[in-house]
Amino acid sequence: MKSNLNPETDLGSIDAILSAEDELIPSSGFLAATMERVREEAAFPKPIPFPWLRALPGIALAVAVLGWCGFELVRAVLRSAREISFAQPQLITVNIHALEPAGWVAVALVVPMLSWILSRRIAGRSGLL
Amino acid sequence: MPAAMSAEEDLADVNRVLAGEAQAFEGIVRRWQGPLVNMAWRYCRDRGRAEDMAQEAFLRVWRGLAGWRRESSFSTWLFALAANVFRSELQRFPAVNVPLEDVAEPAGPATQHDGLAEKQSHDAVRRAVLALPQRYREPVVLYYFHEMDVGAASRTMGLPEGTVKARLARGRELLRRRFPHLNEQNTPQLSSTLRPKKEVLQ
Repeated sequence: MKSNLNPETDLGSIDAILSAEDELIPSSGFLAATMERVREEAAFPKPIPFPWLRALPGIALAVAVLGWCGFELVRAVLRSAREISFAQPQLITVNIHALEPAGWVAVALVVPMLSWILSRRIAGRSGLL
Repeated sequence: MPAAMSAEEDLADVNRVLAGEAQAFEGIVRRWQGPLVNMAWRYCRDRGRAEDMAQEAFLRVWRGLAGWRRESSFSTWLFALAANVFRSELQRFPAVNVPLEDVAEPAGPATQHDGLAEKQSHDAVRRAVLALPQRYREPVVLYYFHEMDVGAASRTMGLPEGTVKARLARGRELLRRRFPHLNEQNTPQLSSTLRPKKEVLQ
């Protein structure tokens, strides 16, 4: 729809109205209230940042171990899968027994990870992180 | 107060705060409380909320003071940070849910000499700014807050001037269409005292 309005005049009026706002004076207690909150903030100890630099070698080691375990697990599963035969059901039990250590390794990795996640959440709730 | 003096005082106070003198922050609040409360007011048109938002902005300034890189002036950084705070606050709890078409129609030109009617008419235009779509609202708010300085508005928003100009033009066009009576209602005393910069009008 084509406008039949005069942009120059209209915008002049709109400019005039929107520019001519009365200035608001902050309430008398504003400065004191703001400084009170600032002082409260200043009184709190600053949050301790997570020491990423120090943790980096540990994290790298954990990733490497995890990757190696994963690789071994997959390799064991594939080897077992190749050996499984429908003609020899008794061998399945044997292969499952062979997988047991890998399962324990997985449990051993998952438990500390869950513990770490839980501790992070608890620490986060306490405002430490 | 001259801008240069204020900038020097800001810098001195910032340095004192960073050196551990929390009380020096009072000087910053004292100098900038007016501009920040007024800026917040233009975002929400609610006095109590404007003060709350301005206070939140000051707290963010306090927390982020060490992060000010001094590439821009303190005021530019302060306004940009405040705009971020106000934007997020209003995203959580919008100031107005009335669509632009539903903003009360102000009185027509017949009542232009009636002071009350004129005030109501102006209030309607100001309320209509809050009913603009968000992408157009902020450029309009900041453009008039910065006394029609597009550069200042774009620095506060952290957007290129061209983008701000385009959004501003669109926002003003929406307002112009919403209030066609302003065409007939010349506001001589306002128009003569306030000369808008022509850089963005078209």
